[in-house]
Amino acid sequence: MFVIVNGESHPVPEPPTLSALLVRLSPRSPFAVAHNEEFVPRGAYDACRISPGDRVDIVHPTAGG
Amino acid sequence: MRERETDDPLVLYGNRFSSRLLLGTARYESPRQLTDAIGVADPAMLTVSVRRQLSASKDSGQPFWDLLRETGRRILPNTAGCLSAREAVQTACMARELFQTNLIKLEVIGDEVSLQPDPFGLVEAANQLVRLGFQVLPYCTEDWVLCKRLMDAGCEVLMPWAAPIGTGQGPRNAPALRELRQRAPHIPLIIDAGIGLPSHACQVMEWGFDGVLLNTAVSRALDPVRMAGAFAQAVRAGRSALLGGPMTVQEMAVSSTPEIGRPFASDCPSQLPPPA
Repeated sequence: MFVIVNGESHPVPEPPTLSALLVRLSPRSPFAVAHNEEFVPRGAYDACRISPGDRVDIVHPTAGG
Repeated sequence: MRERETDDPLVLYGNRFSSRLLLGTARYESPRQLTDAIGVADPAMLTVSVRRQLSASKDSGQPFWDLLRETGRRILPNTAGCLSAREAVQTACMARELFQTNLIKLEVIGDEVSLQPDPFGLVEAANQLVRLGFQVLPYCTEDWVLCKRLMDAGCEVLMPWAAPIGTGQGPRNAPALRELRQRAPHIPLIIDAGIGLPSHACQVMEWGFDGVLLNTAVSRALDPVRMAGAFAQAVRAGRSALLGGPMTVQEMAVSSTPEIGRPFASDCPSQLPPPA
């Protein structure tokens, strides 16, 4: 029962929501999130249900051209 | 940072800038070097991106975020590396939430060797992003039909390449770029990618392009801070030359010094009156 976060396996959180996953991982701010390659607005983390095998991307500001 | 007043502003989606240089933030040797280059280049905007957190990276996360905020510059996030319209749209949405701006430099790459923009993906993504309220600055080629489709999609700025990203070759297709300028006289056109030398930047500004976006030409120079200053001067020189109105090129030599009164000229009488 794993979810793939930035390419690495993590246990599906309880309750199985994006919000619970982020509490457990506590990424450094600022960050933004996509669930199964779809952007999830900050206000929708609680409502976003996580299933085994789902993919989550957590991104941060970085240098770019 | 408060923009200086100028009588010749660069206007992008209603934002007025005194500078016509946009600067990328990648590939500098240190945060200090980037900060110094920004100070010297005085860019209108800084381009940035979003990536998964890499441990021990000096170019991302909180330190980079703090550096950006301290510069006070307006931020232009990109969708660098996206290979489809869908990826680009989702990346843009994440960037908008992170950087709190509707501006987005849209990149959809169609070829991973040349990093050439995907014209089909660009138009598809631009259509979606405009509907989502983004102000889209697409990185595109000089192809006129593509540029027309992007304008039809609602893009109010276009950013054609000079040459492939990071090559520093300078304008590879000068006639097509100049034709694009002529056919789209009112939309801001920023040359993005492929510039290597200040003379390239000056040249495209003389052709009437509205600005230049640089990264590698500065960050991979031997002395990036000095090169940032050189590009800032080149962009200003090119713009001034355009506004100054270049002379008409002549087929034959035309003496610039007056011929009348030349000494030792037997067939050219002196214009001075004879001595009394």
